[in-house]
Amino acid sequence: MIRTPLRPLARVLSARARGENPDDIERENLAQRHEAMRDRMRHRAEGRLFVLAMCFLCAYVVVGVRMGMLAGSEPTEAQVASTDSEIVAQRANIVDRNGRILATNLSTHSLYAQIRDMVDPVRAAQQLAVIFPDLDAAKLQAQFTGKAKFIWIKRKLSPEQMQAVHDIGDPGLLFGPREMRLYPNGRLASHILGGASFGREGVDSAEVIGVAGVEKAFDGWLRDPANNGAPLQLSIDLTVQAAAREVLYGGMRLMNAKGASLVMMDVHTGEIVSMVSLPDFDPNDRPRPLLTGDASDSPIFNRAVQGVYELGSVFKPLTVAQAMELGLMGPDTMIDSRSPLVWGKFRIRDFHNYGAQLSVTDVIVKSSNVGAAHIAMQIGGKRQREFLGALGLLEPTPIEMVEAPTGRPLLPPKWSELSTMTISYGHGLSVSPVHLAAAYASVLNGGTRVRPTLLKQTGPQYGERVVSERNSAEVRKMMRAVVTRGTASFGEVKGYSVAGKTGSADKPKPRGGYYKDKVIATFASVFPSEDPRYVMILTLDEPTETSGSIPRRTAGWTAVPVAAEMIRRTAPLLGLRPQVETGPIVASFRTSN
Amino acid sequence: MSYLEYRVQTTPTGLSKLLYINWGLVLLLISVASVGFLMLYSVAGGSLQPWAEPQMKRFAIGMIGMFAIAMVPIHIWRNTAGLAYALSVMLLVAVEVMGSIGMGAQRWIEIGPIRLQPSEFTKIAVVMFLAAYYDWLDIRKVSRPLWVLIPLIIILLPTFLVLKQPDLGTAILLVAGGGILMFAAGVHWAYFAVVIASGVGLVSAVIESRGTPWQLIKDYQFRRIDTFLNPDSDPLGAGYHITQSKIALGSGGWAGRGFMQGTQSRLNFLPEKHTDFIFTTLAEEFGFVGAASLLTLYALIIVFCIASAVSNKDRFASLMTIGIAATFFLYFAVNMSMVMGMAPVVGVPLPLVSYGGSAMLVLLAAFGLVQSGHVHRPRERS
Repeated sequence: MIRTPLRPLARVLSARARGENPDDIERENLAQRHEAMRDRMRHRAEGRLFVLAMCFLCAYVVVGVRMGMLAGSEPTEAQVASTDSEIVAQRANIVDRNGRILATNLSTHSLYAQIRDMVDPVRAAQQLAVIFPDLDAAKLQAQFTGKAKFIWIKRKLSPEQMQAVHDIGDPGLLFGPREMRLYPNGRLASHILGGASFGREGVDSAEVIGVAGVEKAFDGWLRDPANNGAPLQLSIDLTVQAAAREVLYGGMRLMNAKGASLVMMDVHTGEIVSMVSLPDFDPNDRPRPLLTGDASDSPIFNRAVQGVYELGSVFKPLTVAQAMELGLMGPDTMIDSRSPLVWGKFRIRDFHNYGAQLSVTDVIVKSSNVGAAHIAMQIGGKRQREFLGALGLLEPTPIEMVEAPTGRPLLPPKWSELSTMTISYGHGLSVSPVHLAAAYASVLNGGTRVRPTLLKQTGPQYGERVVSERNSAEVRKMMRAVVTRGTASFGEVKGYSVAGKTGSADKPKPRGGYYKDKVIATFASVFPSEDPRYVMILTLDEPTETSGSIPRRTAGWTAVPVAAEMIRRTAPLLGLRPQVETGPIVASFRTSN
Repeated sequence: MSYLEYRVQTTPTGLSKLLYINWGLVLLLISVASVGFLMLYSVAGGSLQPWAEPQMKRFAIGMIGMFAIAMVPIHIWRNTAGLAYALSVMLLVAVEVMGSIGMGAQRWIEIGPIRLQPSEFTKIAVVMFLAAYYDWLDIRKVSRPLWVLIPLIIILLPTFLVLKQPDLGTAILLVAGGGILMFAAGVHWAYFAVVIASGVGLVSAVIESRGTPWQLIKDYQFRRIDTFLNPDSDPLGAGYHITQSKIALGSGGWAGRGFMQGTQSRLNFLPEKHTDFIFTTLAEEFGFVGAASLLTLYALIIVFCIASAVSNKDRFASLMTIGIAATFFLYFAVNMSMVMGMAPVVGVPLPLVSYGGSAMLVLLAAFGLVQSGHVHRPRERS
């Protein structure tokens, strides 16, 4: 930058020569310099203002264009209005396989108090206690006159209660909107659904969270707005479920059992069509877990999924299926069946003594523990363990419930030869009924592995092969014989060709050993036996059948008749047509053409 | 260019000052306010009560106040800028301490029958004080870091207090308005570049952090952002305002449904239809044409202010005019973007049109300051 000196000597000298004041020159130059600086600043300021003006202009254009776009757009209010109900439902519904509602939402109100706004706390407390008998007037009064500014009084109100509270007319009693979870079918499917409760709570809304069952397992999915309100569709069939619960409840009462469970599974898809555990509960008012005593005595305990039991002789068909698959024997191979079988200091006995030898078929039909043990010895512990593992019996089921991992099978600490023998007839290995249902379905559906699921499937699961199709049919034939001439003769249901296997296992004592008078009676069945569609596992906990002179506890007397009634009631609901059995032709008719 | 250089004798004195008032600007203000009266009359269902008449009264009082302020020499305003700023900060603190609750946010002070909203006053006080600061400051020091820090503190102190209320709208206006004034005052552009770049960086960092363990804001805050970006995802919840106002704008179309024929606002779909969302009523009843006309009126007000600022050699008056114009611009820019779904709902009224006392009185007072600067501008030595 070239700066003009304020007092250039040449000009000062010439000015002096002319007799002028040289200060004028300085003043003039100073003024010029100021002028130049001012111009620069001015220029810069104008540049800045220009930039600003451009920014403003841009903003105007953006607003104007956007306004034009909106003005040209079609109003879309109809859409918002038409889907009204679905928007309110924040948590997705749960429906059965036919779309019937299992769980939905209901708008209700909570009641709270703003103490500072209350006009007459004493009267309000008394009247509230009248409306809600579970509230204590004195306690409420103490709260209303205490230090708190804000108190929750009730989480859910019925419309009548709300009106009654409204009629108290106290401005300090306020209502907050609440979405609550409603299970319109009550106890049906209670264990499957689990239940829901409030999470974070505010005055204007509360979070609904699943606490058990599929509600908890799919909590994130059910709350995900991205699903656009699509319901969660389960594999359960509500009609079958209703019939099954009724029959099972009746059977449990009739057989004086303290608990019962039922699993009905599609053998090809692995879908659980019905699952009941008794005693059950109302998920709308889910009971609290027991704090003392055995958790399995609580109604919220799901026997079908969480309860692992030594299920007894129902394991024999699995043993036989493996032995045949390994080529060790056929249905007619004779097996040593002398009872008792002595192994070290242990003896394995049969219910009756069946003589020296039984065919493999008769080991199943007559349910010989000794025979099964001999078969298992031929198989060997390692191969037995592999086979049961392939059927999914050694790990928790993959069923979509939060409780599933707690149904972990109890394995013998050491898979000894004795264990091999006892496991062959269902002792020494505890699994849940759902485990057994999946294993049966895998062996009996033609021999491919299925995994149990609670979600509706679109087609069969084509799992890995566990036994050949031929052996699968052979085992079904043996199990059919159990019904026609064996231990499950009460299990015959005309037209549905039921095949099955009984199991009566003595319940283990908590400190080792077995009870003599407490059994788990199981009937594991598949029907129809020629073209299997469903397996059904029905267990009764500590049943006693008292119609005879001595109390009878074996499955053939307890679980089997209940199961037969179950199939009689549910098979038509499942869409199975009774097969017309061709009896002897009594007469023939000629029709005229 | 200090004030003392003016040749004061050439500026008008006494009532003759009235002749030198920027009458074009006055006319524009009256036009915009009249649009407001019409709309308030319409949303009340064709009635002067409960909104249009009080609004008219307030406007009349505001206009008288504006003229009174315009008559006072600008140097007096410059000298009281510091006082105004100190007073506004004190009022903000007072509101924090003893304010009563209004609309869920603590913003009011009640002195007898008058309800005072200090945050409105603060916007103007900050602009005045900043303008006075840059007028006092040697222009060569404007971009030095220390001298940049001081105005930043001047802006951020009340911003912090306003955010505590919490009043996000006013906070945005304060920061953006103060920033524009600093820019106009000639602060080096690199400062703005750094601030904008770090702002963009911060926003992208926040968005990037979603779902990671070091997530910077809460999930529900992310959901609010989602709702803003896609209000259809929650049309009855947080997206309600925006969805409804967009419907109203679409329903107005190009020519509008006609005066008093709006459905969205008439049928009470719209919350705050007489305050923050009054623009939707206008857009529905007068369509794009009406909305664009109001936009033009606003633009003209800004143009008049900038023209006055450019021609004014008094640095204080010039900067203050820019600052007030910027604040005014931000008011309606934020409000319109909010109404049209381009910005989140932060609660900024449409200036001079929305029903509301404090905002209108303060804005008219601000325009009084602009007029004072205009009337008392230094005349060229002729």
